[in-house]
Amino acid sequence: MGIFEVYHPLFNFFLLNVGYAFSQQIVLRAGVFSVATGGFAALGAYCTAILVVDYQVGEFLALAASLALGMLTGLILSWPLARLRGVYQAIATLAFVQIVTALLLYAEDITGGAIGINHIPRLATTWQLLIAVAIVTYIIFSIGRSGIGRAFDAIRQDETVAGMLGVSIRRYHILAFVISGAIGGLFGGFHALLVYSIEPALFGFEFLAMVLTFIVLGGKGSVWGPIIGTAIIVSLPEIARPLAENRQMAQGILMMVMIAYLPNGVYDSLVSLIRQRRAAKWDRANQEKSHAVAGA
Amino acid sequence: MPSLVLERVSKRFGGITAVSDVSFEVPEAGITGLIGPNGAGKTTVVNLITGMYKLTSGEIRLGGRNVGSAQPHEVARLGISRTFQNIRLLPEASVLDNVIIGFHRHEKASIAAGMFGFNASLSEIREFRERARALLDRFHMARFAEHPAGYLAYGHQRRVEMMRAVAMNPAILLLDEPVAGMNDVEAGELGDVFQELASSGMGLLLIEHNIRFVTKLCQNVHVLDTGRTIAAGPPSVVMHDPVVVTAYLGTA
Repeated sequence: MGIFEVYHPLFNFFLLNVGYAFSQQIVLRAGVFSVATGGFAALGAYCTAILVVDYQVGEFLALAASLALGMLTGLILSWPLARLRGVYQAIATLAFVQIVTALLLYAEDITGGAIGINHIPRLATTWQLLIAVAIVTYIIFSIGRSGIGRAFDAIRQDETVAGMLGVSIRRYHILAFVISGAIGGLFGGFHALLVYSIEPALFGFEFLAMVLTFIVLGGKGSVWGPIIGTAIIVSLPEIARPLAENRQMAQGILMMVMIAYLPNGVYDSLVSLIRQRRAAKWDRANQEKSHAVAGA
Repeated sequence: MPSLVLERVSKRFGGITAVSDVSFEVPEAGITGLIGPNGAGKTTVVNLITGMYKLTSGEIRLGGRNVGSAQPHEVARLGISRTFQNIRLLPEASVLDNVIIGFHRHEKASIAAGMFGFNASLSEIREFRERARALLDRFHMARFAEHPAGYLAYGHQRRVEMMRAVAMNPAILLLDEPVAGMNDVEAGELGDVFQELASSGMGLLLIEHNIRFVTKLCQNVHVLDTGRTIAAGPPSVVMHDPVVVTAYLGTA
């Protein structure tokens, strides 16, 4: 129990970030280069914090409100973004995050401005987080093997082909934004109930880069990518102290190495390597078989 | 299955007229040819039918239904499919998944069923998987099932594209230069597949440069030059039309 006590806060932090990673992954999987997760998380965190602190709303109702707010924001955001692609989506969603953080700064009466909201009761437990992560993992897994996942994969790889196959790009982009918003909002809510105090700066550029790193590192093709990517980033500072002191730099270097050598992430690269090996083995076996037939 | 009708179809890009007043029909259960020299507007016609380009004027009907202003995915759902001049597969996905995605327009499970893994979605996944495996067997591609499609040889990629088109089971299939870069044996094999599809009731529009191939397969041929129909009829007649010969070879 002793070791778990020491690493307990770290485990909570890991679970929280797995949630964010899934919110980021679902849009990337659908071929949308969105970085809006930070905005969804900020809205979710403030929604839960304000409801719990100012209005004494119960924990689960507050979390549900955060989830709904994230969903609604995702739905609204998908509308102006429908015509944009690639790097323009990244710029537009980055602007969305900036707007959210700016609003949180200016609306001092409600949000506490730059100081943020303090003395938030720490209501979230590890079990609750674990259950939330399990449910989200299951949903992402289900999506992955269903027609929705195939439609996402088709859009990401070739939009023209996806359209020719009858996939409505608009519909699936909206779906991806709504799911991303729901997950981001929910885990934003958990975030507020875990760390006692929140401020707008928490969800700025650093947050956004970190969440993207989870996916670049892990991979966007399966449920394991975000879990592995998050585990690596979260545990890195614990493995070696110097890494903790130069956290930003270590993350940056890791990103560059990954993009250069394993652009599909650790897990996805591993899977495709195994696939190719197996395919090569198949070919060899088949060749030997045909040689044997020819020989006989 | 319904037939496809084009009526006085025109497309202008700015001041350039790419297609002008083209009319023809792709009847069910047959192969119709569309030929013409480079730049004649053949691929533009395909892009107009599939909704990738907006019509400037004219009408496109599928079984009496106007599809001239429909979005690409709507056209696909109504039953018009195509193959591409430069094969376009999902390169990262396995061969099996590339075929399964062809069933997309026949999917009935709801979004919620997919998200929460309800039985409606799971049994549909199983069914599509089995049907895709059967197609792989039919096209002698079973051993490539788990290969990423992007790594396959050209001829095999063509077969994957054909399997995907068959999985879609469209009323009308547009084939944009399907045997380009193939030898006569490979082309012949693919020609057999086309004939099989036509006899199952599908209407095929074959866009080709290979005149021998077109003559062998098509009941009717339409010849385009600089965006206009210059000849139409059975291949044996059209190929000897002096206008067609001039368009292809130039005047002596």
